[in-house]
Amino acid sequence: MKTETEQLLGYIERNIARTLADCTTCGKCFEACPMTQYSDKLKGKSGSEVVAGIRGILEGTGGTPEALEWTRLCTQSARCIPACPENVNPMLMMRLSRITSLGSTGGPAMLADGKRDPNFFRRINAFSALQFSDAEIAEWQR
Amino acid sequence: MGTLRERVIFWYGCNAVRHGDIIHSAIELLRAVGIDSDPAGGPAYCCGTAKDGNLAAAAGMAARTVEKFNASGRDKVVTWCPSCHRHAGTFMEGVNPAKFEVSHIIEMLHARRHLLAPRLTHAVERRVVLHVHSGFHEVDAYPLVADLLRLIPGLELVVADFAAPGHMCSALAAVPAALKDVQRQSVAFCATHGSDTLVTAFHACQRLLCGLATTDGIKVVNYVNLLVEAMGLTPPPDEYAEWKNAGSEAAIMEKIGAERIAKIGPEFFAKQMLPELRKLPEKQ
Repeated sequence: MKTETEQLLGYIERNIARTLADCTTCGKCFEACPMTQYSDKLKGKSGSEVVAGIRGILEGTGGTPEALEWTRLCTQSARCIPACPENVNPMLMMRLSRITSLGSTGGPAMLADGKRDPNFFRRINAFSALQFSDAEIAEWQR
Repeated sequence: MGTLRERVIFWYGCNAVRHGDIIHSAIELLRAVGIDSDPAGGPAYCCGTAKDGNLAAAAGMAARTVEKFNASGRDKVVTWCPSCHRHAGTFMEGVNPAKFEVSHIIEMLHARRHLLAPRLTHAVERRVVLHVHSGFHEVDAYPLVADLLRLIPGLELVVADFAAPGHMCSALAAVPAALKDVQRQSVAFCATHGSDTLVTAFHACQRLLCGLATTDGIKVVNYVNLLVEAMGLTPPPDEYAEWKNAGSEAAIMEKIGAERIAKIGPEFFAKQMLPELRKLPEKQ
């Protein structure tokens, strides 16, 4: 029986395999991305080359600095989805790249995890305590 | 003959609890369209989407949440948060067998707008701009929200002609220049269209834009509170916005009150909450 984590990892690996099988590195997703303008590292870069770097991250061969930068900048705008001629979901591809780059699939961590904040959930609970009654918290949030 | 009522779980997610007004108004609107809800949210019902860097945590959170929903006996879960909705339809669905279907509240309200429209009897005489994002591709949310807002008597609606990247403003928080661009574009668009009110669809946009009241004189309101107002009810106060726009730490603390601050601990409040509440959108 697989653990919950192994099952999630399996789901991620299946989606990485599907993405790698379908993506032709045409670079249309990169060209459609509204976030590349926010990085000097990405200005004027070739979409095909940056996406090849994303494939490298997903394949576990390390990717490129540009691919890591694009992964860091992805805000899930979804503009890449209709841009893909191969019906890959590039937004999911970028999420998989992020998960891999954070070291979650067993490889080295190549990106800092900005969401690793020990007070993330404590703050949420504290804001909740300010605005919800004890009864609501007991009934709705436990 | 009475309206056939439905009972669902209303899954409002984690970060939306910063906006108790939105959650309470959303429950009121569901009730108005014949849907009784069992609300569920906060970290105990986390989908795990914020834990890309810790798969064990992500997997455990998703599994616990699906288990609780499966055990509830409800066959429908209505989401509020686009992140939860997306995660439910991908990573959670791909791993955790669910005994329920998932719909988004905007779809639910829109599909039942024939029940909502007769309840919207109070004019809201205001010209408003609907703030739009491109990223929530699973649900074509903004045309549906616009349809709902057009049911409000007296309301003049202008839909922003640019869609901000991301599914909510929180997606832009890691790229401050992009968030600032969206805030400035929103202010400029309001000015062009003679509006002093920006309408948000989601909680994270409300959180990151509501400070425009202080910086630019733009009132930011979530669509559910406009609909509740049009029902002739007084929407719950948007306390988060009141705190954010209070002007000083002392004023924030006075508005919250010593009793509530004591409940969560003054030190934690000062270190972990005040900085967030003091942070306002950047001006040019």
